[in-house]
Amino acid sequence: MRRTIPLALTFIVGLYPILAFFVPDVRIAHANDWLDEALVIVAAFALPLGTVNVIMTNTSKLKKKARGWQYSIVLLAGLAIMAIYGLIGGTGVDPKFQWMFVNMVSPLQSTMFALLSFYVASAAYRAFRARNVEATILLIAAIIVMMGRIPFGDMITGGRMTPLSEWIMSIPNAAAQRGIIIGAALGAASMSIRIILGIETTYLGSGKD
Amino acid sequence: MNAKKLLNVDRRVIYLLVAIGALIPIIRPIGLPTVPTEPVWKLFNKIEELGPDDAVIISFDYGPSSEPELNPMAQAILRHCFARRVKVLVMALFPLGGVNMAIDQLDGIADEFEGLEYGVDYVNLGYKDGAQAAMKRMDISIQALFPTDVNGDPVDDMPVMTGARNYDDISVVISLATGIIGEYWVNLVNAQFGVPVAVGCTAVSAPKYYAYLRAGQMMSMLGGLKGGSEYEKLLVDKYDFARELYEEPDVKARSAMAGMDVQSIVHMIIIFFIIFGNAMYFLMKKQEKEEKER
Amino acid sequence: MVSFGVWLNAFLTLCILSFLYKDNPFFRFAESLFAGMSLGYYIGLANQQTLMPNLFRPLFGDFAGNFVLIIPMALGILLYFRYIPKVAWMARIALAVYIGYYIGVMFLQKLHGEVLPQSSDTILQLRGIGGLEILWNVIFIAGVFSVLLYFYFSAEHKGVLGKVSRIGVWFLMISFGASFGYTIMARISLLMGRFSFLVNDWIRPLIGAS
Repeated sequence: MRRTIPLALTFIVGLYPILAFFVPDVRIAHANDWLDEALVIVAAFALPLGTVNVIMTNTSKLKKKARGWQYSIVLLAGLAIMAIYGLIGGTGVDPKFQWMFVNMVSPLQSTMFALLSFYVASAAYRAFRARNVEATILLIAAIIVMMGRIPFGDMITGGRMTPLSEWIMSIPNAAAQRGIIIGAALGAASMSIRIILGIETTYLGSGKD
Repeated sequence: MNAKKLLNVDRRVIYLLVAIGALIPIIRPIGLPTVPTEPVWKLFNKIEELGPDDAVIISFDYGPSSEPELNPMAQAILRHCFARRVKVLVMALFPLGGVNMAIDQLDGIADEFEGLEYGVDYVNLGYKDGAQAAMKRMDISIQALFPTDVNGDPVDDMPVMTGARNYDDISVVISLATGIIGEYWVNLVNAQFGVPVAVGCTAVSAPKYYAYLRAGQMMSMLGGLKGGSEYEKLLVDKYDFARELYEEPDVKARSAMAGMDVQSIVHMIIIFFIIFGNAMYFLMKKQEKEEKER
Repeated sequence: MVSFGVWLNAFLTLCILSFLYKDNPFFRFAESLFAGMSLGYYIGLANQQTLMPNLFRPLFGDFAGNFVLIIPMALGILLYFRYIPKVAWMARIALAVYIGYYIGVMFLQKLHGEVLPQSSDTILQLRGIGGLEILWNVIFIAGVFSVLLYFYFSAEHKGVLGKVSRIGVWFLMISFGASFGYTIMARISLLMGRFSFLVNDWIRPLIGAS
């Protein structure tokens, strides 16, 4: 029962949006609309789900005084402060919540990602090698596209680089991406059917209970 | 020349060169030209066709990790819509930072235009969880999904919502997206409800989106900082207020057109790294071969 | 005058950038702070923007008219039962609804929103148009089919299939090269954003330069 009911629910709830798309019945549409409304709320509960796990892990680290436990204090303090201002604000974005986002969360995340530009440059120098035909094609395409994205490309080639770069993006690149999109979409659709029909059940966990 | 030594140079030397290449054009802007491309023209021309009786959705589906790329295009598109007095419904469906990006951009841009009133000409509906569930809900009623705006005030009585009840009243959805949310607007909203969708995306996503653009699933695409700079250029060429605004030092320094100076210099540095690295690699191979033969 | 917020912003930026030299306590501090604040942000955001206006306000404001909202609320709370070992199995009910719904929606998105429009757009005109356009259309169609065949792993890639797959690989390499080029642009933009902040919003006001 502990697995049968969830599998049955997955089947019914999974099939319903598909049914509602094909069957033009007002009652089915209303039920589908309610399902959409309900899942917006369930998704809101799901968003911070991993937070509980992080709190448990870091609290355990603190208790055991494991390596790096001081950073767990920082993590938990940051979590608590943001969460408190997010909860006491009620409906609407609290000004302090917005301030902390703009002056703390935003620069932290932006800079984390900005580090990647250095790594990309280092990789371009150390690892990007024309070892074979395929790697050479990749390299040439990369250089043409990069030159086409900056004004210098057109200045050096008399305006030819941008059209060439656009051609590469619109024809061979778009063709390859389309192949990937179709292939991945068919794979995802078949996985969806497997989950709806209960063939794939890994999302339910180990099933030891 | 010892090719092996050059190839194994400390990575911090590379980091330093990149940092210098990025800093110089920020301190001393160059002002390189920008040429708009067709994918960007399409959105510009679409908004040129719209007026005070039309409504658009601008969805801030990005966070701080894409802020430098997408903020400039967000500002340019908002300025364009406000200049034409198009009704603007701002929302966010991306969890990490979308709503805060929207708050950060919207009011400042709206203040540049006289006579614009919050709740009448534009509204910030805030963030909603659920992504696809939220998108599907808006086909029935945008107000049912967003009963309050970002500040918690009811949207019932806001005049801007009168002419924007659901997708039927929306001329175009512009998603400024850092990933999959942009695709959802295309493969769900455009596919199932027929709403024209334009996507302003990060440069990482742009290559993939050319396939959607070709198929007409996206009516327009602004790819990365270059896309933003092209839109700014179109705005500056068409509107006097934009030309004057983008000459102001504060606005100019933060514009995508100025950002392209940095892009240009660092791109050249990286292209040099690729070519030089490969040249040293082949030289090293040759030197090793010669040493073996000796 | 540089505000406290800008100083904090600059300090945290430099903490993260210090990692480029080597791992250090400032970076670790900033990293932990980021992890914690992001998670706290999700809690605050979900409450402020969805749960309050779409659940709590309508449910407790007009219970008789909105009592059905108890169902999604119950499902949402059930998700957290996975952390209580004795009743962890009950979380599966909520998970089944959540996963089932999004799987059903995704099925439609993928087939109706991707496979069908992308496939139909690949049926391109090969007659009655200019010579170059025919060539580009042929190249495009060849690209799509060869890439699709490359991803067909149910048969060994030899003979005709092998040769066509190889062409698919070349198209993929062009695409990955283009993606690399665009990715560089994306990463540089992020760097530019941070450096622009440090120079224009922190250092210039600090030294009184324009």
